[in-house]
Amino acid sequence: MKRGLLFVSVALFWLLPVGLALAAEMPETVCLQCHGGQAGPLGAPVKAWQGSVHQRNGIFCHDCHGGDPADFANAMSPARGFVGAPEHAAVPEFCGRCHVGVLADYRESLHGVKLAQGGAQCVTCHGSHAVKETSLELINEQSCTRCHDYGRAAQIKTALAETDARFAGFGEELERLKKLGVSVAAAKGALFDLRNRYHRVFHSFNVEKVRAETGRIASELEKLRNEVAGHDARFSQRKLWGGIVIGLLLVLGVVLLQVRHTYEEEERDR
Amino acid sequence: MRLVNLLIDFVDRRLGVREIFARELQGYLLPRNVNAWYTLGAVLITLFSLQILTGILLLIYYVPHADQAFASVQRITNEIPYGWLIRMLHAVGANVIVIALLLHMLSVLFMAGYKGRRELTWLSGFILFNLSMGLCLTGYLLPWSQLSFWATTVATEAPGAVPIVGDLIVEFLRGGATVGNQTLGRFFALHVVGMPLALLGLIGLHLFCVKRRGISPPPFGADYRRSELPDTFVYEKHPGGIPFFPNYVVKDAAVICFFLALLLGIIFFAPGLFFPPSAFDPADPFVTPPGIKPEWYFLWAYQTLKIFPSELIGLGVQGAFMTFLALLPFIDRGPERRPARRPIFVTVFFLTLLIFLGISVWGHYS
Repeated sequence: MKRGLLFVSVALFWLLPVGLALAAEMPETVCLQCHGGQAGPLGAPVKAWQGSVHQRNGIFCHDCHGGDPADFANAMSPARGFVGAPEHAAVPEFCGRCHVGVLADYRESLHGVKLAQGGAQCVTCHGSHAVKETSLELINEQSCTRCHDYGRAAQIKTALAETDARFAGFGEELERLKKLGVSVAAAKGALFDLRNRYHRVFHSFNVEKVRAETGRIASELEKLRNEVAGHDARFSQRKLWGGIVIGLLLVLGVVLLQVRHTYEEEERDR
Repeated sequence: MRLVNLLIDFVDRRLGVREIFARELQGYLLPRNVNAWYTLGAVLITLFSLQILTGILLLIYYVPHADQAFASVQRITNEIPYGWLIRMLHAVGANVIVIALLLHMLSVLFMAGYKGRRELTWLSGFILFNLSMGLCLTGYLLPWSQLSFWATTVATEAPGAVPIVGDLIVEFLRGGATVGNQTLGRFFALHVVGMPLALLGLIGLHLFCVKRRGISPPPFGADYRRSELPDTFVYEKHPGGIPFFPNYVVKDAAVICFFLALLLGIIFFAPGLFFPPSAFDPADPFVTPPGIKPEWYFLWAYQTLKIFPSELIGLGVQGAFMTFLALLPFIDRGPERRPARRPIFVTVFFLTLLIFLGISVWGHYS
């Protein structure tokens, strides 16, 4: 059950292309139609949401706050599932309905343990409405020192940085192979899983755990990179053999044209 | 070699094949000024043969069902030994065939090869061209990718603009209201059985027409002759001409080599040329990929439908143009074939070509 929820949460978060397509296709919800035209605090969430990771992935107001996005009269009806905005301490549960795995790691972290004493929760770092996706940039001195000193956070950021660099451009590498006809569904699934594990470990705020888990992730990522390198080597080999065959065909064509010239000379002499 | 000679002797004693060979190939004389454009027929026969061979090999592993078609093509490309090569030869080969067909038709048009009681040769060739387009269209759906699905949806939507029977035509083409497994089934049957059989029959008829009436000589040089419209059947002879075998066959073979080099060049060095990204995602009827366009050779038709205020007018213009092209030998009956003496025809020829290229480029970027 937990694994199922985890999969759903990760799928909701990372199905970017599908989300983009849906975002492009989906008509404006009544929430956006009404709040989008308002000034002040009632309209601000819509402006903040525009360009957020949620908006880019097709996550609309009703996906978090509930209600009926197609019915003005019942848009904020509790009977239609409207839940409004959560209190500070309820935010992790609120976000964790989708981000199940992250919630589990967060709860075990110092942030989660200190929640009742005003400890940081999701929006403290990611913001609300203008939600930012998990990235190394979110861990910075200015942000972390709002609550505590930066030392431990800096150690975690250093431990994460090397793995973060390993992910860079790998998705694009797989897309490049896909455009060459290579079946990358399994590799993309594995990368999806590794990214998810990587983003989860962000939330543990445990230096040892971060180091151990990022080490495992890096090793598995290396295996995937070797697979890509294997495909590239195969394509290089194909190009070599293809080039030889093409060269032979061109030479044969030129030789045949020369034979034709000799026939032409005979035909002229006749 | 001795064994081959023995075999030929065996058949010759029974069927006289050496006599047929000497009469039909060595004794078959072509005009002395025959040029490289005349090799395109042999190029096309080679490419069509390659399509049949690779098509049969693909049939071994391809599964014509919406649930399995995409996975079976992925398997062919990624798991079956040399499956990628066979699939690429088939898919890229189709595009190279369209290039060769267009060049063949344009050269015949420019040299007025359809003149002199060659209406049946032209008509059979014209139908062959359209049948090849049909093969491309039906083959496009078979990989059941996003590109296949949506390009077929767009293509089969167009006849819907025809009044009264439009919806019926769309339903007939799709086998239902929308593109689905039933569409895949009928396109598959047409692509692997119906259309290839018709194609083979038409190639036979086309070659028969060419051979029976005699090759139309190029309208250039000192050997130029005006086209005749004899009242009775006449075989156009080329006395003192070039023997087809071996003199011209070597040129055919040379150009075939160059076309095969082009085909392999695309496969090995530009494999993505004819495959947009949506060709690698499985069909999803609920997600329309952005910027779906038909193949390059259908872009002119696609854009024509968008230029006119209604699709019906666009379809009408396309139909009128294709009908005019089909009936051209019956309309253009003058004896003159030299392009230099046909300024109006040559101007219209190049203007039409430019308009087609322009509309296709417009369609690509629209």
